[in-house]
Amino acid sequence: MVYWQLFIAFLKIGVLGFGGGMAIISLIQNEVLSYGWMSETEFVDIVAISQVTPGPIGMNCATYVGYTAGGVIGSLVASVSIILPSLAIMLTLCRVYDKLNERWHDNRVYQVCMRIIRVLVVILIAYAAWRMVTPATFADRASWGIFGVVFACMCVPELLPAKRMVPQAIKMMADIVSHPILLICLAGLAGYMLYA
Amino acid sequence: MKTFWQLFWTYLKIGTFTLGGGYAMLPLIQREVVDRRHWLEEKEFLNMIALAQAAPGLIAVNSAIFIGQRIYGWRGVMACVLGAVVPSVVIILLIAMYFRQFKELPVVDAIFKGVRPAVVALIAATVVRLIRKI
Repeated sequence: MVYWQLFIAFLKIGVLGFGGGMAIISLIQNEVLSYGWMSETEFVDIVAISQVTPGPIGMNCATYVGYTAGGVIGSLVASVSIILPSLAIMLTLCRVYDKLNERWHDNRVYQVCMRIIRVLVVILIAYAAWRMVTPATFADRASWGIFGVVFACMCVPELLPAKRMVPQAIKMMADIVSHPILLICLAGLAGYMLYA
Repeated sequence: MKTFWQLFWTYLKIGTFTLGGGYAMLPLIQREVVDRRHWLEEKEFLNMIALAQAAPGLIAVNSAIFIGQRIYGWRGVMACVLGAVVPSVVIILLIAMYFRQFKELPVVDAIFKGVRPAVVALIAATVVRLIRKI
């Protein structure tokens, strides 16, 4: 029964999938090959499509694999089962986090620990950005140009003086040019005009 | 009920414009959840990323659960998770059913050549914007 197989496989991936997106893809690959839902080349195609469609890569891949193995119902089974463990685990973690905050929020050691964690998270995000600087992504001058413009636009609100009064119109302008969705759309348009 | 739809809509936007995986949605969450709605402050945003990262599963979904729970209890969790997941499921189903040659289209390739460096820039800018607020 393919639905049951999908349910078990993706539940397992949801429990063991530490490290997000790409780590989860390799777990999905193991399951796909061991159940023989599709060939390895077909799976590689699915991963490629998951990367160029909106949404979290792991989710895209799970939905697609579910569809290939068991049609529309299969895709729903796969996407729901990969979420279920997250729900249980994250809700528990949230509760623990709230309890800790409540009990220790004015404890010096706790504050320092949380602060160290936050520093590590920022380093982790910086590292993620750094790892995305690949020759494939930055193939020519134009891609560095897009990078520069988007980066500059995002930093505009940071440049406004925090202490002095800034006219409302300038604030609004800064708000608009630093909108990530707008910038993504414009970058897509730029790509279309430059490369298509 | 208004909060439910606000959360759903916010995460629908985040889910739709997460291109290029994982960390690409952080600038979007920061914009929508921290700057715009003030549901979290920067410190809590960073704590949230730590938790979403440490728990197994998809980081996008984990963050949706955290924020949903924080703002509106179990209904918030439903709203955020649905919002984060629906665009992904719908688009993939459409492609799988009708449009398998999607990724071979030269147009898609060109658009992504533009989007990829932009996503790197968005994430790098997130770092800059968070550093002072650690």
